[in-house]
Amino acid sequence: MQAEFRAPRRRTRVQEEYEAPLPVSLRPEERSLFRAELINQHVLVRDLEQIQKIHNQGFFGKGVLSRARPDHSISDQWEEHEGLFLPLVSQARYEELLRWAGATLSAQGLDEEAVNQTLLQLSQPIGTEDLRGEGQMMNGQEGPGPEDGASPCTERAWPEGGASPCTERAGPEGGASPCTERANPNPDSDSFSDSDSEPGPGPGSGSGSLVPGPGFVLVVSDSEAAVQIREVRRTPLSLSEYLQLSLEEAFFLVYGLGCLSVHMHQEPLSIVQLWRKFRSLHPDFVSSYAAYHHFRSRGWVPKEGGGAKYGVNLMLYRKGPPFYHASYSVVIERADDAFEGSALHPFSWRSLAALSRITANVSKELMLCYVVYPTDQSEAELDSPECLSRLKVQEVIVGRWVSSRERAEQDDI
Amino acid sequence: MQIGLCDPHSLVGPRRQRRDCNQESCDWCGAHQADQPKTANSFKSVGSSTERGPRGMLLLLLRLVNMADQNKTGTEGKLFSEILSPSELFAARSRSHKIPVRGQKDFFPNDSDEQRQRLEQSLNEHWSLTSEERVERLGNLVKAVWIPSDQIVELQSPAGKFWQTMGFSANGKQYLLPEEALYLMECGNVQVFYRDLPLSIQDGYERFLSSATVTLQQYQVFGHLKRLGYVVHRFDPSSEPSSYARQLNLPQSRDRAGRQLKRKRSPSPTATCSYTEAQVESTIEKMEEDKCSLEGDDAKKLAASPDIQTATTSGADEGRSWWMTDDLGASDKELHHSPTSGSSRWDFSSIPFPDVGSSERHPSCLAPPEPSLLPGDLTVGVCDIASWRRKINLRMVKMSSKEQKREKDTRRRRWDVNKDREVRRCRNWAEYHELLARRQRKRKGRPAHLWNREVTPLHDPKQPISTGELLDKISVIKSTHLLEGASRLKGSEQWRICFNVYQPDTVADFKKSNPGKPYSRMCVCSFDGPVPDLRAIKLLAFQSGDIPVVFAVVDHGDISFYTFKDFQLPTDVFP
Repeated sequence: MQAEFRAPRRRTRVQEEYEAPLPVSLRPEERSLFRAELINQHVLVRDLEQIQKIHNQGFFGKGVLSRARPDHSISDQWEEHEGLFLPLVSQARYEELLRWAGATLSAQGLDEEAVNQTLLQLSQPIGTEDLRGEGQMMNGQEGPGPEDGASPCTERAWPEGGASPCTERAGPEGGASPCTERANPNPDSDSFSDSDSEPGPGPGSGSGSLVPGPGFVLVVSDSEAAVQIREVRRTPLSLSEYLQLSLEEAFFLVYGLGCLSVHMHQEPLSIVQLWRKFRSLHPDFVSSYAAYHHFRSRGWVPKEGGGAKYGVNLMLYRKGPPFYHASYSVVIERADDAFEGSALHPFSWRSLAALSRITANVSKELMLCYVVYPTDQSEAELDSPECLSRLKVQEVIVGRWVSSRERAEQDDI
Repeated sequence: MQIGLCDPHSLVGPRRQRRDCNQESCDWCGAHQADQPKTANSFKSVGSSTERGPRGMLLLLLRLVNMADQNKTGTEGKLFSEILSPSELFAARSRSHKIPVRGQKDFFPNDSDEQRQRLEQSLNEHWSLTSEERVERLGNLVKAVWIPSDQIVELQSPAGKFWQTMGFSANGKQYLLPEEALYLMECGNVQVFYRDLPLSIQDGYERFLSSATVTLQQYQVFGHLKRLGYVVHRFDPSSEPSSYARQLNLPQSRDRAGRQLKRKRSPSPTATCSYTEAQVESTIEKMEEDKCSLEGDDAKKLAASPDIQTATTSGADEGRSWWMTDDLGASDKELHHSPTSGSSRWDFSSIPFPDVGSSERHPSCLAPPEPSLLPGDLTVGVCDIASWRRKINLRMVKMSSKEQKREKDTRRRRWDVNKDREVRRCRNWAEYHELLARRQRKRKGRPAHLWNREVTPLHDPKQPISTGELLDKISVIKSTHLLEGASRLKGSEQWRICFNVYQPDTVADFKKSNPGKPYSRMCVCSFDGPVPDLRAIKLLAFQSGDIPVVFAVVDHGDISFYTFKDFQLPTDVFP
């Protein structure tokens, strides 16, 4: 007997535009080749534009400094100032950032005078005309050591000799579209989180104002006067956020869509190498990837991270987390040809009842996803992603039935 | 009092048993067998337990009141201790019917006297409530006898209202299954005797419930559902049609009596091929013996029926092959298959085949086809196709204006390979392949580490493709359903379907001979036991057919129900 399909519940406040289901465009001229690095067992994407694309089209990955989507910015408040859209930072905070930059510089061995010189140079107010006039900037993406995302901007500027410390978007034409995207960072983050933080400045900047990149802030002086002077300065210390992809997501982008390359120690990895590497990192990678691939090929968005919140492997969303509440909590199991097998999560009735209750409390449905392996599959076969075509997936919905008559009349089994 | 002649009045043991007096008239017991239903004042105690109903218990204490033998009260009082005197009966009848009120819950113990007192009082009330004896009219009690050799209970007086949904007839007598008998004993409707002594509830539990009949846990589920009003019957796997027989849509004939008495408890069903064949054989026998009606409006089934007939004949006639019909000059797949009787070919343009899938309003019943179209001496009745039509007919999807616009956009953007001038210039396939290879080489930006190795990605992002097609392209993992591969699973002792459950609303027109499709089937398991794995789920789904299987998990009397249902996630494509 088949389980009924319940339509997914839409979220009440949806402020996001749906871009595309997957980061593979329909127009072949657009580049959709992304680059990620495999560092310390994590797959990270560092280029900002690629991060936006990968995340917004398919909701892959998670920002390392954010709750879900990579929307970390140096300030929660953004303001428009003379045609530019900039994050707002108080004077005290600005000076704090300057101090940290100074500390980093001196830790690198610069003597005190050099440090002070640099800081003075850094904290000069910048005319907005200069900012707007700046056309194509260098897109240096040679980041410092990726152990921490924080780096003083001057360090990047060092080899370039004082040029714009951080990456800059292209000219105004290219800036327009990321501008409108970036113009909604705070409303997006608010629509994401279910807490009621106050809504950030609306996208009232329109397409006219330019977002000059993460290297600039608007500093407000803490004067007591009614009118507070705002100055545009360079950001002394910026945290660049990376997008972290789970192993399954990364492999799907590489193998399923062919739009991502994963590099390890600057060397690109082939698909088989990547498969073997991931299998060594996760013993059950084949099962979890098979389930992930299956749900993606049905057009749903599976997100990891359900483990800590709901006790399951995956959460299934329709279209994406900002649009709908998750419809299913998925527990991945493996089974062999005789449909038995060592369970990845050995259930007792007690744990199943608990999981079922939790899932019902958050208005989702508990789904057991069995990955069925053929018996004649050898270890060698499993060593290549070609084994996926022999696997099968069985979905089972676990539900509770209440025997008392009032309930039974309302919904059938 | 003489032992041997009629000694119905001696008490045996501490369990208040009483030998029944089989004499038509007896000086000792005032009740006569013939008079029992009419005697207004014969009551007997039936022990204490909870029962359905608002009050939860019958509160009449029964005793035989012997008005005529008042002078023997002295001896009787010692002997007939279940029989109520008038004053006791009055006291029992006028007992309060209120359920003790349970006030507000205390959330944690606070070691206070007041709390302890309240709890004690509440517990005492409940204890006295549950320990009250129930009183029942002797006239209302149906007498029955326990037959251990058959593990069955035979009724000896006419059955009451419960006969509508419980029990079965065989050999001209009425019988009850042990769990039904125990349930009715607890309700106070039936009095079961064994070796002329009435059994107590404890006896009933001890004797009737065993691994050969119904275990205690299964009985708990049975009782729970019955008290909620459901109709619960035992599940008999051999009376369930196999998938093949289900395709033939044979009408069901319920034969509960035959199952219980003639057959000892059959071992777990083995869903192997031989079993399926046996099933087909038995249905064939039914066909030929009972002249059941066959579904005849599908040519495939028409072809199948001569095959069945040949199967039986081949069973009798050794050396004949299954495909004997081929020798007659027509394959069984083609429409113009001539039946074994050798009649001329049919003119299909003149035979009306009903269009079950059309969207017009059709009567939900199909009239039987012409007898001349049917082989042999088959008769076909009216066929109910309501369930089929529900499965076939799809609703027209009304797209909103936005969706319609999207559809138009995708249609416009769909890249037609023939629109390419270079492709049109190719005169044959070889040139087309060359063109493709040239384009391949021209294609820049294809990372070598992905494309020039053993395993390449499933999709090249340079190719323009719609989302739906992309999803199809990357669907390398197939999804399966529960019934796939389930037929080869052997049955297991651990996971068995115990009961068929029917909705309580259908009680009014419930027919035991034809109960129809059950609402669900129950599989009883213990809370301390294992959770069913995929194998168990598939096995039970296969046995059950299209009825959902519900797992009743028993935790020391507390029952929870869980379902594991088959599901296929629908594809979600946003253009």
